[in-house]
Amino acid sequence: MESGDEEATEKHRIHLRPATLRDAAPVTLHLLPCEILANRPAPVGRFFTPAIRQRPAGLEVSFRGRLLRGEKVMVPRGLAGYVMVMDEKAEVLERKYASRGSKNDDEKEQQERPEPMERDFDRFLRATASFASFHLWGLETVPGPDAKVRGALTWPSLAAAIHAQVPED
Amino acid sequence: LFHSNNKNSNAILQIHHFFSEYLKDASKKMKSGLMFVKLVNPCSGEGAIYLFDMCLQQLFEIKIFKEKHRSWFINQSVQSEGHLHFATPMDPLFLVLHYLMKADKEGKFQPLDQVVMDDTFPNCTLLLKLPELEKFLGHVTEEKEIDSKKYYKYSKEKTLKWLEKKVNQTMVALKTNKINVGARVQSAVFFPSDQMSSNREEDYIRYAHGLISDYIPKELSDDLSKHLKLSQPSASLAKPSIKDKIKLSDEPVEAKEDYTKFNTKDLKTEKKNSKMTAAQKALAKVDKSGMKSIDRFFGPKSKKKDLKL
Repeated sequence: MESGDEEATEKHRIHLRPATLRDAAPVTLHLLPCEILANRPAPVGRFFTPAIRQRPAGLEVSFRGRLLRGEKVMVPRGLAGYVMVMDEKAEVLERKYASRGSKNDDEKEQQERPEPMERDFDRFLRATASFASFHLWGLETVPGPDAKVRGALTWPSLAAAIHAQVPED
Repeated sequence: LFHSNNKNSNAILQIHHFFSEYLKDASKKMKSGLMFVKLVNPCSGEGAIYLFDMCLQQLFEIKIFKEKHRSWFINQSVQSEGHLHFATPMDPLFLVLHYLMKADKEGKFQPLDQVVMDDTFPNCTLLLKLPELEKFLGHVTEEKEIDSKKYYKYSKEKTLKWLEKKVNQTMVALKTNKINVGARVQSAVFFPSDQMSSNREEDYIRYAHGLISDYIPKELSDDLSKHLKLSQPSASLAKPSIKDKIKLSDEPVEAKEDYTKFNTKDLKTEKKNSKMTAAQKALAKVDKSGMKSIDRFFGPKSKKKDLKL
């Protein structure tokens, strides 16, 4: 969320557009062992992907002069992976909301009829891609079973037990 | 997912299979019904992001895996933050329990819509739309029906029984998933089953208790510990300043989510990290034999070499 509307944050809802989940095209993902301080298009297919070599010990690639070793990590069964993006439209909606009049009017309105799920000041999120696996890279060594990401990927099965309804007496 | 100040940012969301099933059924007329809202974290009392599926009538918890020095290549683009978001189904009773316990200060039976109210997190009323909820309220409340309207009052006794069952079923999952809960194991690797026998039963209970404690207030966690007859650590040590310290995680909305579960560097290298929940903090100080569960569960074995580019 944008800074600046901190006050309203708590009542905001961010709607996920369901159709975008259905239509999300598969994506190629690499989780790199380094921080690249940029969020923008990058010629991954020109420089990175073609340099990947299959070795007996796993995948290898040279990236900015460093050797990375990697492996394919499958998304566990029962999970689906999505890449999501916040819609730009939100700003327009914010303005629309602001121009709708005083707060009191809104409150009155809310009392008069049931509140809709989507409100003008809400924001929207959509899935731009989906994935069932990704490449996990380590610096010089294959991340292996100790990789923290692998631990995290077992979380859903544990969460399922924690949140399952308990048996009756 | 909710990266501030960057509208083009991509993020990864892992969604539970409920979603995939839902998608198969989703018709075009379905315009909305999936939404992220901020609700109270029943453990810390702070805000956290949850996901509602109004069509499936299911609440999801959002956990974020964050690791330092990780970035994504997403097709032909780079995403600086190598985060992974998990959406997993959550028992809404944990959230309702928070409000029931609060309302219990008044000491009377109340209708649920008067209990689940929150000026800070008005979206909490969405919980009342979950149809299954009423069916399960009996696990944590005494009920009265007057003129076919139901009134509820928090019951500590019933709640502890309910939580005990939660602990038990969590223990089963720990065993099934071969998660090592032993006290002195350095590695987060999942051990083969023959080595599992070294995990004592009490370690499992502690571990499961630690996991459940992330969804209930500290005092209830302590009571549950007594109820489970876990040897009592001198817990008062960590108590006083917890609330204040938690305030430190007052970052933009996405950061208020409790990252510590996955953010294992906090555990190994920054034990006093302010983002730890109350229970985790207390537990971190008093006992290291399996109670900090999720943290350890995701704990790295060794510090991996980092590469700054």
